[in-house]
Amino acid sequence: MCLRLVPAIWSVLLLLPVPVWSQQPGMTRAFDLERRGDYAGAAAAYRAVLTNRPADVSALLGLERSLLPLNQGADILPAVRAALEAAPSSSAVYGVALRAWAATDQSDSVRATAERWARSAPTEEAPYREWGAAELGRQNRAGARAAYLRGRERLGRPDAMAAEMAQLSLSEGDYTVALREWLLAVRRLPGYRATAVATVSQAPPPARDHLLRLLGGETDLVSRRIEADLRAHWGDPLGAARTLAPALPADRVQAIAVLRSLLDQLKMLRGSEAKQAQGLVLEALAERSPEAQASRLRLEAAQAYTASGDRAGARRMLAGLTDDQAAPSSVASDAATTLVSVLISEGKLDQAAERLGQLQPKLSADEYDHLRRGLALGWMRSGDLVRADSAIAPDSSVEGLALSGRIRLYRGDVRGAVDLFKAAGPYAGDRSEATLRTAFLALLQPLERDSLPELGSALLQLERGDTADAIGKLERVAAHLPARQGGAELHLLAGRLSAASGKPADAERLLRAAAVKEAPVTAPAANLALADVLISARREAEAVQVLEHLILDYPQSALVPQARRKLDEARGAVPRT
Amino acid sequence: MKRRQFVSRAGAGLAALYPARSWLGPWPTAAWLLIPMDDSQTDHLKAYGVAYRALKRGVKAEWFLNYRSGAFLLPSDAGTARDAALAGVMVEPVDDSQLVQIRGGLRNGNMDAVPLEKPPKVAVYAPPNAPPWDDAVTMALNYAGIEFEKVWDAEVLGQKLKTYDWLHLHHEDFTGQYSKFFLNYAGSAWLVEMVERNRAMARSLGLPSVPALKRAVAVAISDFVEKGGFLFAMCTATETLDLTLAADGNDIAASYADGDPMDPNATARMKWDRAFAFRNARLELSPTTPVYSDIDGHQVNSPERRQPLGSYTLFNFSAKIDPVATMLVQNHRQVIPDFYGLTTSFTRKTLKPGVTVLAEEPGASWVKYIHGERGQGTWTFFGGHDPEDPQHQIGDAPTDLSLHPHSPGYRLILNNVLFPAAKKKELKT
Repeated sequence: MCLRLVPAIWSVLLLLPVPVWSQQPGMTRAFDLERRGDYAGAAAAYRAVLTNRPADVSALLGLERSLLPLNQGADILPAVRAALEAAPSSSAVYGVALRAWAATDQSDSVRATAERWARSAPTEEAPYREWGAAELGRQNRAGARAAYLRGRERLGRPDAMAAEMAQLSLSEGDYTVALREWLLAVRRLPGYRATAVATVSQAPPPARDHLLRLLGGETDLVSRRIEADLRAHWGDPLGAARTLAPALPADRVQAIAVLRSLLDQLKMLRGSEAKQAQGLVLEALAERSPEAQASRLRLEAAQAYTASGDRAGARRMLAGLTDDQAAPSSVASDAATTLVSVLISEGKLDQAAERLGQLQPKLSADEYDHLRRGLALGWMRSGDLVRADSAIAPDSSVEGLALSGRIRLYRGDVRGAVDLFKAAGPYAGDRSEATLRTAFLALLQPLERDSLPELGSALLQLERGDTADAIGKLERVAAHLPARQGGAELHLLAGRLSAASGKPADAERLLRAAAVKEAPVTAPAANLALADVLISARREAEAVQVLEHLILDYPQSALVPQARRKLDEARGAVPRT
Repeated sequence: MKRRQFVSRAGAGLAALYPARSWLGPWPTAAWLLIPMDDSQTDHLKAYGVAYRALKRGVKAEWFLNYRSGAFLLPSDAGTARDAALAGVMVEPVDDSQLVQIRGGLRNGNMDAVPLEKPPKVAVYAPPNAPPWDDAVTMALNYAGIEFEKVWDAEVLGQKLKTYDWLHLHHEDFTGQYSKFFLNYAGSAWLVEMVERNRAMARSLGLPSVPALKRAVAVAISDFVEKGGFLFAMCTATETLDLTLAADGNDIAASYADGDPMDPNATARMKWDRAFAFRNARLELSPTTPVYSDIDGHQVNSPERRQPLGSYTLFNFSAKIDPVATMLVQNHRQVIPDFYGLTTSFTRKTLKPGVTVLAEEPGASWVKYIHGERGQGTWTFFGGHDPEDPQHQIGDAPTDLSLHPHSPGYRLILNNVLFPAAKKKELKT
């Protein structure tokens, strides 16, 4: 018997009324022996019960369970024959009989038992389902398929056993047939949809287009929903939302249920496309919801559009919401806040500042400070450090200090920036901001200069997204600094930026300039980055030399374990990650 | 000159007298380097590679059996220190007086020192296109940095085995039935490729079928051991090699493999004297059940017979009386979690008398790790597929040994690679 049937047997057992066996001393003893792992004793006790009551399903199932670990599955056959004589229409007995004969490889008996069961229950799928399961327990997929098809034919229903046929096709890697069968199964029982999507979504990438085309040829809502779910699974959230939109049922309640279901899936995805798809679904939900809920949904849609970078979508949702007297005050306030964020991200900083000024009385101090820092960041990225400074000046929070430090740094005030970063501490802002601040400190501390405007200018260019210009400026600054006093660190930063910009030749030159023995703190990191560049260029032999140099010359460096791992990869000693 | 400048310049001058060899550590004068293999070791698996490469460089080493879980002693030279530093292997400096103390301890306890003289030349029997991550031994050799060459049917039948000392077989099905996956995985690309490759090889060598090809290869491998070779096999190769040798012309292959069905009386016709390790096994007659016989105790692919995984325990042998078995079980763990393979274990009832059991599951009817001699050579069988992937399934992600540098199961594999180096005389004919 297949081990996977054991939970099924237990579940059948648990469904039986407890008093039936708890009141019988023979059964109680048998259960006790089984629980203690005395399977031989338990089997004897179950047999004793069956002697008096051959059709006792609990005892029969208990005997089946006890014989299994003894590797004596076939020994149940006499008890099964007796049970069938005593209860010729018991489904549970037939199930045990099928498994027993399948385990003993008696395919004729399996078939005969299934046919007999089917005759006693002519409208049920169970005989064919169990027959197929018994064949699968013998690794006989063809036999299982024949059993299911026989059932389909006898019952006269083309969708009978569709879920089983789908699972069978999946085990053979035939996703096309599996999908067709799942469509039949889901149309009959919508609860199968989640399983259908979970299993078909495992299809390998080359098969996916064909499956989507197959679904595209169908016209009903079931197909559209499965297609949308699959598209979401396969990394096309926008496609999912667009597939579903034209197929939504006219019935408002039904449509909301369908949209909510997709939204739940989309919320598990990351990335801007997923956010935009969420925005589309939330917008569709808002259109079908009562006004009180619709305001909240529009706000959520606006936030999703903002996160995706779709400012037009965000504006469309926010239009009117901020000044809507009917909207709940919390929604109007959130909408106004979101609008300020949208204006900042669009670079409309004057409008954002004006809106923020109007909003100030309605906002909590924390909300106001948060938006003001966002505005300061906006000014900073626009290059207007004066207005950035004035926007942040009254803010004495640790986040404010951290932002002031960056403004100082971009002005070239190295000492002031270091002092403010230290004052802000390691926990201000989110994780990426804290990491950035730590990186700045590591860069600035070896400089031994109070002021370095050229460096500030280079880092400001980097902040504004002009990486190429920033690299050039960083290299020029580095050229005038001793390696130990920041020159190596700046070369390392420029090298990493070049590597990330897809300029391996520049990266190699800059990183080699950073990996010098005069800068022993910087050199290990520079060597590691250099090895990465060389491995990417398929120059493994040179990378091995660099990594060996790192490990042998800087044995105390915290980067040595990483270097050894990379060395293994470069040598082909472990799989690439 | 100011005092600070003087100190600085004098220090620089002194430093210049020594070469910049930071990786040699603080013991440039120690005569020996000890590679401990107990829990203080930072990378047990790469330690074997350091010892192997030292032998390759002509260095004479020693294996201290049962001392600090099987430590290695190497002369303190720059090459070894550099290699250990690169590999992240912990070495300890040992001077002559400390070594005298260690040797005293070895004399008085169940320990011994075995000289390692010549690195074995290693071959792995694997298809030419086999990925390196499909075979535990290949992974271990790659990770430890031990050189090996791949051989396949043409090389084995072309007498190339005599150029190697050590041969490893992994999950090859020597009955020629494609691991009995032919029916259950029909149509799978990897199976189609495997069938085509084997059939083409049989044709090119003038053999009528894949079972005939694999039998010829099995006989050549048996001959390799007879003449002094060291054979190490894992997973299905253990069981199917012996079944094929014992079949000796008796048809044990299903019709999809050789065109005619298996002899229904095959079990009774087996000639077990041909086999390395097993006897009196009952063959599996079903062509669809991926099981060969009752040699395997776990029967992973037979749902009704499959047994759960437990742990296996290594035996303690007398290092001075039985050094070979002692070498094969050197480990920092005595009890090791079990792992499945198409053949996971070996039932006690099918073991030939005289087979040395190296590891067993106490109380179970099977053993895990066995060893024996044939002619002038030796063989070792280790059940299971991958010691760090207990439930290995087709298509699983490859094991990354840098995440398992202390794997006790992989140590057993590497013990087998180094133990031929301990032979004091040439065993090859």
